[in-house]
Amino acid sequence: MRYALRRTGFFLLTLWAALTLNFLLPRLMPGNPALAMLSKFHGELSPKAINALDILFGVNTRQSLLSQYGSYLHQVVTGNFGTSLAYYPASVSSEIGGAIWWTLGLVGITTILAFILGTGLGIVSAWRRGGRLDSLMPPVFVIASAVPYFLVGMVLLLIFGITLHWFPQGFGFYVSTDKPGLNLTFFQDVVNHAFLPGMSLLITTIGTWILTMRNTMITTLAEDYVRMARAKGLPGRRIMLDYAARNAVLPNLTGFAMSLGFVVSGAILIEDVFNYPGIGHMLLYAVQGEDYPLMQGLFLLITVAVLVAILIADLLTAFLDPRTRAAR
Amino acid sequence: MRRLTTIGVFIGAGLLAAGCSAGSGSGSQGSGSGGGKSTSSSVLTISNENGATWTCAFSPFNGSDTLVSVGFVYEPLVYVNPLQNGATTPMLATAWNWAPDDKSLTFTIRDGVKFNDGTPMTAADVVFTFNMLKKYSALDLNGIWSVLTGVSQTGSNQVTMTFGAPAVPYFYYLADQTPIVPEHIWSKVSNPVNFTNPNPVGTGPYAVNPCTKDNITYTANKYYWQQGEPHIKKVEYPAFLTNDAANQELANGQAQWGAQYIPSIQSYYSAKSPDYHYWFPPTVNVSIVPNLTDPQLSNVKVREAMSYAIDRGQVSNIGETGYEPAANQTGIVTPTFNSWLDNSALASWGNAYDPAKATTMLQSAGYHKGPDGIMVNSAGKKLSFTVINIGGYSDWVASMQVIQQELKAVGIQVTPSNLTNTAFDQALYYGHYQLAYYDQQTFGPGPYYELTNWLYSPNTAPVGKQAATNYERYSNSHPAGLIRSYAATTDSAQQHSIVSQLEQVMLSQVPIIPVVEGVDWYQYDTGSFTGWPTSSDPYAQPPAWAYPDNEQVLLHLQPK
Amino acid sequence: MGMPVTSVPAEAAATPAPADHALARIGRAVRSNRKAAIGTAIMAVFVLISLFPGVIAHDDPELDAYKPRLGLSAAHLLGTNQYGQDLFSQLVYGTRTVMLIAIVVGLATTAIAVIVGVAAAYLGGLWDSSLGVITDVLLVIPLFPLLIVISAYAHGATTVVMIISITATSWSYTARQLRSQALTLRSRDFLEAARVRGERRLYIIVVEVIPTMTSLIVASFLTNALYAVLFSSSLQFIGIGDPNAVSWGTTLYWAQNNAALETGQALWAIAPGVCIALLGTGFALLNYAFDEIGNPALRPVRRPRRSARRA
Repeated sequence: MRYALRRTGFFLLTLWAALTLNFLLPRLMPGNPALAMLSKFHGELSPKAINALDILFGVNTRQSLLSQYGSYLHQVVTGNFGTSLAYYPASVSSEIGGAIWWTLGLVGITTILAFILGTGLGIVSAWRRGGRLDSLMPPVFVIASAVPYFLVGMVLLLIFGITLHWFPQGFGFYVSTDKPGLNLTFFQDVVNHAFLPGMSLLITTIGTWILTMRNTMITTLAEDYVRMARAKGLPGRRIMLDYAARNAVLPNLTGFAMSLGFVVSGAILIEDVFNYPGIGHMLLYAVQGEDYPLMQGLFLLITVAVLVAILIADLLTAFLDPRTRAAR
Repeated sequence: MRRLTTIGVFIGAGLLAAGCSAGSGSGSQGSGSGGGKSTSSSVLTISNENGATWTCAFSPFNGSDTLVSVGFVYEPLVYVNPLQNGATTPMLATAWNWAPDDKSLTFTIRDGVKFNDGTPMTAADVVFTFNMLKKYSALDLNGIWSVLTGVSQTGSNQVTMTFGAPAVPYFYYLADQTPIVPEHIWSKVSNPVNFTNPNPVGTGPYAVNPCTKDNITYTANKYYWQQGEPHIKKVEYPAFLTNDAANQELANGQAQWGAQYIPSIQSYYSAKSPDYHYWFPPTVNVSIVPNLTDPQLSNVKVREAMSYAIDRGQVSNIGETGYEPAANQTGIVTPTFNSWLDNSALASWGNAYDPAKATTMLQSAGYHKGPDGIMVNSAGKKLSFTVINIGGYSDWVASMQVIQQELKAVGIQVTPSNLTNTAFDQALYYGHYQLAYYDQQTFGPGPYYELTNWLYSPNTAPVGKQAATNYERYSNSHPAGLIRSYAATTDSAQQHSIVSQLEQVMLSQVPIIPVVEGVDWYQYDTGSFTGWPTSSDPYAQPPAWAYPDNEQVLLHLQPK
Repeated sequence: MGMPVTSVPAEAAATPAPADHALARIGRAVRSNRKAAIGTAIMAVFVLISLFPGVIAHDDPELDAYKPRLGLSAAHLLGTNQYGQDLFSQLVYGTRTVMLIAIVVGLATTAIAVIVGVAAAYLGGLWDSSLGVITDVLLVIPLFPLLIVISAYAHGATTVVMIISITATSWSYTARQLRSQALTLRSRDFLEAARVRGERRLYIIVVEVIPTMTSLIVASFLTNALYAVLFSSSLQFIGIGDPNAVSWGTTLYWAQNNAALETGQALWAIAPGVCIALLGTGFALLNYAFDEIGNPALRPVRRPRRSARRA
């Protein structure tokens, strides 16, 4: 219980830190980004948009920093990120709302698959130390950790999309022929388009899971109670799954926290390679279009999503691991 | 162990199955003929990347919505073809006349025209439209009321416009670029500036039916005044978010009318089908813009040397993959405005690429090559400048790399500074730069429109103040006078003579250095439709976003 | 870029030995470990290339001197790109920029990580808590989006901006590892001896503790250098870097901009990516090897050879 409280406290602290960082960054950088935007639109921005720019970027320096901070926090907490400049006059929230489902689908499904497959392979590889799988694993995944995400995406795109024509060459669906909505054709098309980006993300992230699982398994397998179980003559598979893996999975879950940051980075790069219309792609578009409100909104969203996922993983660990429950 | 393997195999098989079934299911959609909506060959699909989903607002006076409303739903009085030196096609006006002093212009409005809701269009609608622009200046996108003094109905079907001073070139903006809207709808709108106009009522060949954020469907206007038109009953305009997606669906045949920049277009697009064609008509100059207040750049010999040092063909081939042809120092865009080009003047300029001449010129200006290869004068000032560029335009960045290497060969050092759009605009408008690489997006039915922007002194401002169009800070009353006299004449011979003199100014004073010619991106698929504009038949500016030219294209197209 | 290949920081991982044997031990371990050997070989090749690019590549990487889109030949080992630049030269000269970023960021980040990690372990109390909080916060905030945002506000990520921003944000993972190890060392006998001797805390930290952590510090440097390479090339790839720089990431940017994959110029896009992967592999192999040196449990199990003798 105390562990859960501590983790929630940490979540809130990091959230506050991210919000404050987001507030300070544009004000610390040389040249206020929003000033340039204001003059670019010269007078075409609605008062609502101008006000939002003001609060988010501190254009109007009449207010003290502290009161700007207050307005900023209020605005953010109420979910108002202002008006997008690249997609003017659409609001930042509505634009993000359109793109987020694509990324959630892609990243969500791939992460779950990577976790399941990766953990499974890691368990097997650690159980059969010295076996073919195990001696193959480390070098293969050492290289995998060094390969940039976009390279995997590009190679898959080149082979399966461009050369073999097995899959489309990018984007989320066929814009000129599909009617987006709840129909089978659209759904099939979405899966078709998501396959290569999903595969790239899966291939690049699975290595982490396999290796971390393998390493924690190895440490667990050296424990006394495993030796005891072996001495008792329990069947191998039972020991592997019920005794060792169960205990080794938990530290893996904490590792999930750190890997999530990388999954997000990977998603951004892969969305770039495949022109996949998710929030990673939108972030890059916002940067190119100097749409600072949209950029801020996306950064906050990505950070909060990661933090929430970590919090859930931590709380899950607390729930599943009796040691933390009983601690102190 | 076996159980795990089995699970793994099932998951893998499942993934493969999902992938393959989806893959093969849509395989037929992908390559070759388009699937779904566009299989019927009488539906035209446009590929023009907009970068965002549609807002389904269709106000013809809102800069973001003009490209989906004007030409499709709204029409102008007269169609003026900028690619054929202003050849005119009467649209909502059947005839027009300039008064002898060029201070008034009278249009005869066509009879029998109906809006797409069945209401007849009359001269009153025309008068209303123009006066609404006067009342709400935010709607006056072309600033026509800076020259107009009044627009009124002077007969049952006559409209007369009066001017404070002759402004003949404004005919293009008045007759071609002003869409006519129905009075019975717009007079009831409380604030036309904010009016989104989701169900546009116009006289044009199409009506919007329906619009979603992902796609606009245009259906033929049954009240359209041209009998039998349009031949294409349905046009789809999908919202592409990325250039790549738009390019691919064009290459797949899912869209037929493209306005896309496609890298390596031969291998990407035209090689995929014998019906795929492209044409890039040149429109404006992309030039090196010197800041004429800079002490060294104010010396015309330095600017001339720069002009001679640049191998424009190389810049075009390498920087622009040959898509944008070389420009020339007269500033006349060829072959679009060939009939305006003063060939003898250009001939006297000599070879456009002449590094030896450039070097001699610099030497005569008092420069000699220093030990680092950079030209330096006796006072120790080096010919070393920064050139601002828009970092996001990768072809401009690549072109500047070529220019940099060519200038280096004659001893001029330029260091590119790649800026964001806004930062670039700020620097350019306020004169905080030495050299810039830029084009003015003002295309009209003659070189007058672009040249005016560069040469007209009242359009400039001192460094630190915002210049309207004359960013290089060029100040000279002679060209300004020429420009004013052009505006006061309708005589073609006089217009040509004035432009000739402006070309002489470009050659003798080198206020800017045109390098390559900006083009319109345009692709077309002759497999399903005929009647496309081509280089041999340039009856309209071809891209789908060019209005009201897009209407002309739509009226000419026929299903095969 | 995957997660670092090192294990989850285990408290008992370090096997301390008196300082003066540490380097020798490392040297021996590197030679005997196959992974370390391969990793060192790869690194050596890249270091040589970045020091003497002119020896290997004869063309100016930036000059649009040749015919565009030439195929592979003796004159152009990887052909030319659409701008007529020799691709091989671009990669060779690009090595220099990449290695520079890797080494500078690696060193700076490791320095910060050592200072923060060891200070947190030794100063304890409020210092440990506050440094720990800062470390943990930076650990969970997704770094790549943060770097993108910083670069956007800075109006473009030139090499200097990239070095500063990556250094300032990516030290936390290795700081945490170093802190763990420093904590376990605190109670070791030889340090107790130094304390009893009356040595000052700073002396103990600098002269006794840090040399003992050498293998982990080297491993941290390798991790940080690897991330510097991956982050910086990713930033350049998406177009935030300086398009006129000569670096693998910028070559990728130009290839991507010109739809190299879709227009039959796949080598232009793939080759720089492969270079990044190779260099990264070098770092990662060395890193992995150091991890095995530090944690014997992770060393590959050698299957006992079946002897010909039967019982």
